[in-house]
Amino acid sequence: MFVTALPTIAQMVGANRILRGVSITHPTGDPDLSTGVEAALRRRIVERALEMLVTEVGPTTIWELQP
Amino acid sequence: MDGGARMTIIHYLNQFFAGLGGEEAAGHEPVKLDGPRGPGRAFAAAGAAPDVTLACGDDHFAEHEPEVLATLLAWLEELRPHVLICGPSFGSGRYGYACGVLAREAGRRGVAVVAAMTPDSPGVMAAEGAAYIVPTGSSVASMKAVLPSMARLAARLAEGETLGGPEEEGYLPRGLRVMVRAEHTGARRAIDQLLDKLAGDVRTEVGSTGDRVPPVPAVSDLHTVRLALVTEAGCVPQGNPDRLPTRHANVWLRYSIADADSLGAGAYESVHAGFDTTAGNDDPNRLVPLDAARALERDGAFGVLHDSFYTTSGVDTPVATAAKFGQEIAAELREAKVGAVILTGT
Repeated sequence: MFVTALPTIAQMVGANRILRGVSITHPTGDPDLSTGVEAALRRRIVERALEMLVTEVGPTTIWELQP
Repeated sequence: MDGGARMTIIHYLNQFFAGLGGEEAAGHEPVKLDGPRGPGRAFAAAGAAPDVTLACGDDHFAEHEPEVLATLLAWLEELRPHVLICGPSFGSGRYGYACGVLAREAGRRGVAVVAAMTPDSPGVMAAEGAAYIVPTGSSVASMKAVLPSMARLAARLAEGETLGGPEEEGYLPRGLRVMVRAEHTGARRAIDQLLDKLAGDVRTEVGSTGDRVPPVPAVSDLHTVRLALVTEAGCVPQGNPDRLPTRHANVWLRYSIADADSLGAGAYESVHAGFDTTAGNDDPNRLVPLDAARALERDGAFGVLHDSFYTTSGVDTPVATAAKFGQEIAAELREAKVGAVILTGT
């Protein structure tokens, strides 16, 4: 599955499991957070990615970090 | 008035169409011949008579590509053509590929190129948008129809004319964006297009760029799956030892993360030219979430983290090239029995 801050473009080119990333420059992190909070965020992102991998989806499906 | 400098037109053909022989001559080395040969003779009627014909055996091109290109490009450099015409190669794979590769390289050196082949010839992808490619059927039967189309485009390019769009001029979309000035604002144009759509006239100005793959069935057992990390964020070991291009990537790379719990700042960096890499360089896990993936692996959230991650940079990389990278990386992953991938993009 694909973590990206540009999910519309991912849809256009036909990616099917798309998770909206945090930002173009840091899809799986956030420099504005304290270290511990950012680590928890990144863990949550990967958990969400794993959730998407075990879920049946229709074509070009976009998930947000928070359901 | 200087009477007009004659435009120089070069024609590239394979061994067969240049009259060097059939399949038995497919290993023929590149040659430079005077004037038009084979189908090139028909170009004169449209004002695009080739001055020189370059020819090479299809197998020889494929098997000695760097040397053949060096030879052909040296001739182009010497002859300084205004236009290069390649083919028509119709449905031929090797010939089409040669035409496409030569077109791409000539295009990079500022030569306008016209070719003709079937829309899914490997030459279309290889050309990477460098040529005006007239779409043809697979068989040579359409030769008589195709030659005048090629010649007309070539003649106009030789005159320095700027061609219109693909539909208007009869060539395959090149995957390029061109700035045009519209008469109305975007808001007005969008409403007009919506009203047309409601009335049944559905149009798009931006076509879909790729083929469609149905969603893969969900991973059935996360606890046994091998998971790989792949990225187009241009994440590489510090110093970019294998010289991943910062834009228009022509390679993807693979790096071991077998004993790594994290991508340390200072150990890794992003060389991607398309975004500000400050945050990513301060903590490369923000691009490739290795630390979180490793922690979740330890906690048993999934089976095993694959021992390498894959990386490339996506700036200006043509869709066709990116698709090829995807296929190649996927082939390796399948070979390694990877069952799931987290791909990160910027």
